Amino acid sequence: MRARDHDGAPRPLTVAVALTVIVFLQIPVLVVVLAAFSETSYLTLPPQGLTLNWFAKVLSDPTYLSAIRMSLILAVSSTAISLVIGVAASYALFRKAVPGAEAIVAALMSPLALPAVVIGVALLQYYSLTGLRGSLAGLVMAHVVITSPYVVRSAFASLAGVDVATEEAARVLGATGLEAFRLVTLPLIAPGMAAGALFSFITSFDNVPVTIFLINAQQTTLPVLIFSSVEMGVDPGVAAVSTLLILATGLGLLAAERLVGFHRFV
Amino acid sequence: MIAPRHGLLLVTPLALTLIGFFLIPVLLLLPTSFREYAPGQGFTPGVWTLENYIRIVTDGFYLEVIARTLLLGLLVTLACLLLGYPLAYLIARGPARWRTALILAVTFPMLLNLVVRSFGWIALLTSRGLVNNLLVQLGLISAPLKLMYNLTGLMIGLTHIYLPFMVFMLVAAIRNVPREVEAAAATLGSSRLHVFTAVTLPLSAPGVLSGSILVFVLTISALVTPRMLGGPTYKVMATVIYDEYMQLLDWASGSALSFTLAAMAIGVIWASSRLTKRWAGMT
Repeated sequence: MRARDHDGAPRPLTVAVALTVIVFLQIPVLVVVLAAFSETSYLTLPPQGLTLNWFAKVLSDPTYLSAIRMSLILAVSSTAISLVIGVAASYALFRKAVPGAEAIVAALMSPLALPAVVIGVALLQYYSLTGLRGSLAGLVMAHVVITSPYVVRSAFASLAGVDVATEEAARVLGATGLEAFRLVTLPLIAPGMAAGALFSFITSFDNVPVTIFLINAQQTTLPVLIFSSVEMGVDPGVAAVSTLLILATGLGLLAAERLVGFHRFV
Repeated sequence: MIAPRHGLLLVTPLALTLIGFFLIPVLLLLPTSFREYAPGQGFTPGVWTLENYIRIVTDGFYLEVIARTLLLGLLVTLACLLLGYPLAYLIARGPARWRTALILAVTFPMLLNLVVRSFGWIALLTSRGLVNNLLVQLGLISAPLKLMYNLTGLMIGLTHIYLPFMVFMLVAAIRNVPREVEAAAATLGSSRLHVFTAVTLPLSAPGVLSGSILVFVLTISALVTPRMLGGPTYKVMATVIYDEYMQLLDWASGSALSFTLAAMAIGVIWASSRLTKRWAGMT
């Protein structure tokens, strides 16, 4: 009889443990959101009173606003650069247009193997030597280094789904190499690259361990600002700005799910 | 076909970026790690020494920090495996209509800012935090438990941060286990537990290994969460590097410790890829 009931489906105990783990994963998120609406200046559960004051305070605070702007500028520009040079390189490497393509791909992935803090201190010293320390350009290039492996990875995954024959057909019909790429291959890899761009944007926007070594006092990023405010003490203003980030992340995830069916990439 | 000339042209921008802003900076860190640093005076000119590395393997402070970092890596990896496997199993084998919701529920915290997640854990774990308040109110404890600035706090926080990576590695691994083999074992009289331990678990072992390596390497490299939940006193390797660079300004020691940490991370990745190849060779 035992043989018949083995269908590999999870038992109630497994389901219970798994759902508990799902709850565990959401707990700190819930806590932050609840704290942001609390009237008290310290965190309590259940929240005492309900207020939007902390949001108003944060959104009128020039320190937070300039940090948000800085994070957006960094994430957008480094993602744009990573996308252009990452897709170009991946395209040539995937089609083996360069000798030693496999070794080059492995080398392009190496920023992922090194602890981020090591990349951070290496760039701190390098920028001190070359005078790039505290410059926006230096920061953008640092973010290109940490985001480009993700772009290359999703470009490879997307290119694997493209039939070379479609591009060759375009060439036979008279398209130049660039036209064939732009009109045939690019539209085919666009959904995958959108997911890659989203991941690159988040990687840049989130980054602390590299960024913290390279920013100057005037231009901090949002996560670095939160990181250093927490060292001073926990206050609901931090919870409010965190809640805005939670909201943005949630909307981004849902948009990605709608656009490209995010769960299929897992 | 892309002409080799064009191929080179396409690869060059990214290659130059990584050489200029990754490879050269990291290589330039190497000579720094052999300099002698005198507080207030900077590097002693003309002096090259192994002292920074010798201190790492002999000094009690460094040894304790390294041991703590490795222990943390092991414990977090183990916790992620134990918590992640049932969830991965449910995603891979559970009802299809739950799948998207479950995957989104795991992806969401993974994409959420690290600093925000760590901040949430601070609110929960401080001595007057939500967990302690709740336990006191319920009368389970009389004085607050110490859940932060120690191994417990770092373990909880880091497990939460890296669990999603483990879950997704395990989902892929469990999906690759052929159901027929499990059914065959069951037909031959194996109990459910035995089917799991003798078939499912060994066949998903490569995913278990790569998930564990990923979580271990991320944990020993982590800076943000250990700093936020460990404070300035309970230190791991990455936070010591941070202090040596930003507070003590001892870049020589900091870069020696950076190379030690990088060597540990790369060593673990290298050893696991050797192991995976050997496994692949056996089957």
